[in-house]
Amino acid sequence: MLPFTYAVRNLFRDPARLLQTVGGAALVVFLLMAATALNEGMSGVLSASGSPKNVILMGKGSEESIERSEVHLEVESIAATSVRGIKSVFGQSAVSGEINYMAPIKTASGSVEQSILRGVREESLLVHETVRLLEGRFPSPGEVMVGSLAHRNLGVKEDDLAIGKEIFFGDIPFKIAGRFTAPGTVLESEIWFDRNDLATVTQRSSLSSVILRMDDAEFDDVQIFTLQRNDLELAAIREDTYYDKLSAFYAPIQTMTWLTAGLVAAGAVFGGLNTLYAAFASRIKELATLQSIGFSRVAIFISLVQESLLATLTGTLLALLLSLVILDGRTVPFSIGTFRLVLSPLVIFTGLFVGILLGTLGILPPAWRTLAPSLPKALRST
Amino acid sequence: MISPFINIANLTKTYKKGKTSITPLENLSLEVPKGEFLALMGPSGSGKTTLLNLIAGIDSPSDGVLEIDGNDIRGLTRARLTKWRSSHVGYIFQLYHLIPILTAYENVELPLLLDNMSKRERKNRIDAALDLVGLSDRAHHRPTELSGGQEQRVAIARAIVHDPGLLVADEPTGDLDRESADSILNLLDSLANDHGKTIVMVTHDPKAASAAHRTLHLEKGVLIKSES
Repeated sequence: MLPFTYAVRNLFRDPARLLQTVGGAALVVFLLMAATALNEGMSGVLSASGSPKNVILMGKGSEESIERSEVHLEVESIAATSVRGIKSVFGQSAVSGEINYMAPIKTASGSVEQSILRGVREESLLVHETVRLLEGRFPSPGEVMVGSLAHRNLGVKEDDLAIGKEIFFGDIPFKIAGRFTAPGTVLESEIWFDRNDLATVTQRSSLSSVILRMDDAEFDDVQIFTLQRNDLELAAIREDTYYDKLSAFYAPIQTMTWLTAGLVAAGAVFGGLNTLYAAFASRIKELATLQSIGFSRVAIFISLVQESLLATLTGTLLALLLSLVILDGRTVPFSIGTFRLVLSPLVIFTGLFVGILLGTLGILPPAWRTLAPSLPKALRST
Repeated sequence: MISPFINIANLTKTYKKGKTSITPLENLSLEVPKGEFLALMGPSGSGKTTLLNLIAGIDSPSDGVLEIDGNDIRGLTRARLTKWRSSHVGYIFQLYHLIPILTAYENVELPLLLDNMSKRERKNRIDAALDLVGLSDRAHHRPTELSGGQEQRVAIARAIVHDPGLLVADEPTGDLDRESADSILNLLDSLANDHGKTIVMVTHDPKAASAAHRTLHLEKGVLIKSES
């Protein structure tokens, strides 16, 4: 075997080439880690947002979009009394009639951005069990409470949505009375209004949905209720199924993310291969000399892999550090919420896997080109 | 009767390039006793480097007998030939072919890394080889810090450090000034006479050839003259 120092010293023969290889590997690994984190974050927030215990009642024909759905106001009380096995807390059924709405919201700083609004009553907390008040209180009329990531969706500073500040729906001011969190769900990006307030400002006389939290009841029980009360024109969908469907809606975006990252990464890989080709081509005679001394092609190949792995793993380490600084913890807003990029084990594994793959598979074509010629021919090469 | 160190009979090498075949060496027969310093001369394309490569196990013959120190190396696979070379042959190149990122010491150490040898034993051997070529004081210099003559001495130290019976040299003085060339030839002569190495050297230089015990002239792949 060739000494490991041979591989290490070879790396520093041409510092410019080394930089190119390390930089290329870092770029490829970083991009693929970013794509993984982005897709994992988006899928994660959508799958975490739906509870298998919750069933949503929506207007028949509007199952694809909760904002377009219309449900009669009385469905809330009818469902609470008609469906047996709904969760009950201190005699209060876990049933929440809500208004979901998207509208431009103006903040105190003057910026106006589209935001996700939810009109709720205090009972809503019985069905949204992940919601926790961070500070302040549940909104009364004329007030709102904001999700801890709502500022990201509005593109404003966190301070702009501090308790006591105002936001504006059109010209109507609402005072921020509370801040809540619902870790890892789309709820964190929402602004919650008193339901009557939201109904008034949006001129709605109906709900968007009624959410039921199951205790002993099964989904089929709610399904039967919708069939029995055909007059209410309802469709039932499990909350997790609803978000899974939303996930499928975002699949093309996720594919595009992979495609874009893949294309840029492919460009960097080809650039890296070109660098390795050039680096090895200039050493054909030297590697042939090692063969003439008695080193097998396998031994030389292993040394080349060591050299390549050293470069690509340095790039991988660089990409991991970059990810830690640039990606980890960053929040990304999208149309129905905000998700957080996390350097999860899967993201780190992806980075390491890609780094090792680059160092091993990436070396094959240039190594083959360098070691394949016959020894007399290689020794004569210039 | 003592068998020759190198025994070649009816050796032929043919290269196929597309539909055409080139035969740089045809039906060549040759015997070289142990400890002989043999020079191969001839114009370009005469087949002398091809012969040298076949003797060194760098290339394989198409036909004929090729025995080195009693070993028939004709049918060896590329991998076995590589292993055989590592213990039986020392190769000296015209342009030294030293590894530029390694010091003289580390270059000389390379063949020993293929043996299961302790670091101390390797050091003893490397010191002895560098001492033999007169470069003990340059052990930790890189090739770029050495003159051409010194580089070739390091290359010779690398070729002899694992104590092979056969040394092959391809124009070892071709890139050197006269003084350095003479010194290298004296060293090769000493390796043959004092250390019993069998040396086969390709050269264009009649003065270099005159340092050898015997000179063979090749032309178009055929042996045409032998001078002692």
